[in-house]
Amino acid sequence: MSVLILLWKEIIDNLRDRQTVFYALLFGPVLLPLCIGGALVAGLKQAAVSFDEPAALAVAYAERAPNLMEFLKANNMDIELAPDDIQASVRQGDVPVVLEVPEDFASALRAGQPAPLIVHVNDSDKHSAKEARKVSTLLNVYGQTLNALRMQHRGINPSVFNSVDITLQDVSSNGFRGQLLASLLPFLLIVAMVMGGFYLAIDTTAGERERESLEPLLSLPLARHKLVLGKYLAVLVFVMLSSVLTAISVFLVFRFFSPELAGGELSFDAQTIFTAWLLASPLTFFISAVLMSVAAATKSSKEAQTYLGLLMVFPMAPFFILQFVQIRSVNTTMALPMLSQYQLLEQVVLQDALSPTHIALSVIGTLLAACLLLFGAVRLYSRERFL
Amino acid sequence: MIEATDLQKSFDGVAGNKKQRVMAVKSVSFQARDGQITGLLGPNGAGKSTTLRMLATLLAPEQGDAIIDGYSIKTDVLAVRSHLGFMPHNAGIYPRLTTRENIRYYARLCGIDAKTANQRVDELIHRLTMESFADRRTAGFSQGQKTKVALARALVHRPQTILLDEPTNGLDVMATRGLRKIIRQLADDGHCVVFSSHIMQEVAALCDEIAIISDGTISMSGSLDDLLHKTQQRELEDAFVVAIGGEL
Repeated sequence: MSVLILLWKEIIDNLRDRQTVFYALLFGPVLLPLCIGGALVAGLKQAAVSFDEPAALAVAYAERAPNLMEFLKANNMDIELAPDDIQASVRQGDVPVVLEVPEDFASALRAGQPAPLIVHVNDSDKHSAKEARKVSTLLNVYGQTLNALRMQHRGINPSVFNSVDITLQDVSSNGFRGQLLASLLPFLLIVAMVMGGFYLAIDTTAGERERESLEPLLSLPLARHKLVLGKYLAVLVFVMLSSVLTAISVFLVFRFFSPELAGGELSFDAQTIFTAWLLASPLTFFISAVLMSVAAATKSSKEAQTYLGLLMVFPMAPFFILQFVQIRSVNTTMALPMLSQYQLLEQVVLQDALSPTHIALSVIGTLLAACLLLFGAVRLYSRERFL
Repeated sequence: MIEATDLQKSFDGVAGNKKQRVMAVKSVSFQARDGQITGLLGPNGAGKSTTLRMLATLLAPEQGDAIIDGYSIKTDVLAVRSHLGFMPHNAGIYPRLTTRENIRYYARLCGIDAKTANQRVDELIHRLTMESFADRRTAGFSQGQKTKVALARALVHRPQTILLDEPTNGLDVMATRGLRKIIRQLADDGHCVVFSSHIMQEVAALCDEIAIISDGTISMSGSLDDLLHKTQQRELEDAFVVAIGGEL
């Protein structure tokens, strides 16, 4: 009962603290996914070219190349009339690109000469450059079709000119981008968990000592392990809340993202995110225990903030390490908290098959580490020097 | 009722660059009876707070023992705590909780059910005249208001023995007088009240028994008249100086 009273008091007390609420419920779960996830998704979306979506293309003198216009229309391009001052409007970004058909296009084509086409592009503008790539690709295809027709007309097999035929076969189920995006989910979840419990852990231990409210509290007829447990549960509630909110906001951010852009079988649907959250949830116990024991080991809020700040590197470490080093999912790494969740969550997002042994090892290893740390925190609370 | 016998406590300290054991309390023995106010009088650093912390079971004595209402501070820690109301020298209340919430939190932690806890909180708010700030958050309270909240919190589980560490610190005249009345009332109700102070007038005005503590030992104890008689002085201050071995 006293554990629940402690838990309830810490929650109420800390919900009244703006700093705790900001970091636990806003920074980790909302701002971070938006800033990092949103920026990454937007960047990928900007760089990726989609030929399926209909797009507008401004063309000057479209009437000079009716067949080309038919081809472009067949490839999802809506032909629009180009503005009068082509160069200025492209530079100002009124239209991303303008395709100009010169006067001698038709005559050159008829004469069997290279027919000129001009694409006006502003290469310093990402959007314009991307549109230009798309238009050039389409024009190349059109050119190749014409080449083939010309050669066939002259009785030559077009494949004579293809001396090598290169096929790129990517054996990974994901590309580099896929890997990066997949590790983003565990990264965001773990950072949010740490941020979620960060200030609460400091406030309930080092903060309590600084306010000098610890002395009267410890003189109450209450066993120390109950005291630690109550405070631990309060931290846990915030860490869990933070992780749930993060899962929701990651889901929302990635809804604006089509998986084929990453070049692999990436999934960020509700079921994937829920499975990922479930696999990451043992970490809430572990991270809460880490925060509690570090905060209990320090003498002041400032010291606690310093140590816990340094500790923030740990949840990020697997994120960066896994970008450079390929760690194979073996049983030993699967027993390690953080690292195992990174690997499991990546597998979930990449829709790879999960090994039940790996899941079991990850859950057991993480919970065991949490128990040890919690035991350590009780020991710290029982020390006289704790006061 | 407190019977302290030969309490001893030392800490790690630093002298120059060397670590050194500092004797905070060498040997403290005294009695505090129910229905009386016992004053622990001593200069700063004499060992008053350390003694009270040992009695409150926050620190374990290295030697000696104290029996509080029949329970040893060494072996019956939880029983001692439930008979004890301890108010440290800083109020140490929660600034984001209201007066009522602060007191109720301790009541509930002591195992008092919600209904009884609310009754006791109301009772204490009335008794310590805290009605005007009962439902305000305690951040920004005056020292007197904070002390009242802390005292109410220490009393909420109706402990027989009450330990107050420099309770009048930082209080103005009126607040001090108010607090004295409350402390007197507690003793008259049959509680054993121990309070520490370095202020002579206060101890002289309030205490039935005085234990003079200096350099970690009780150098003299007894009623005010006893002390004046023993030291052949007419003022407590002079008696105090003689008791701790100083020169008048």
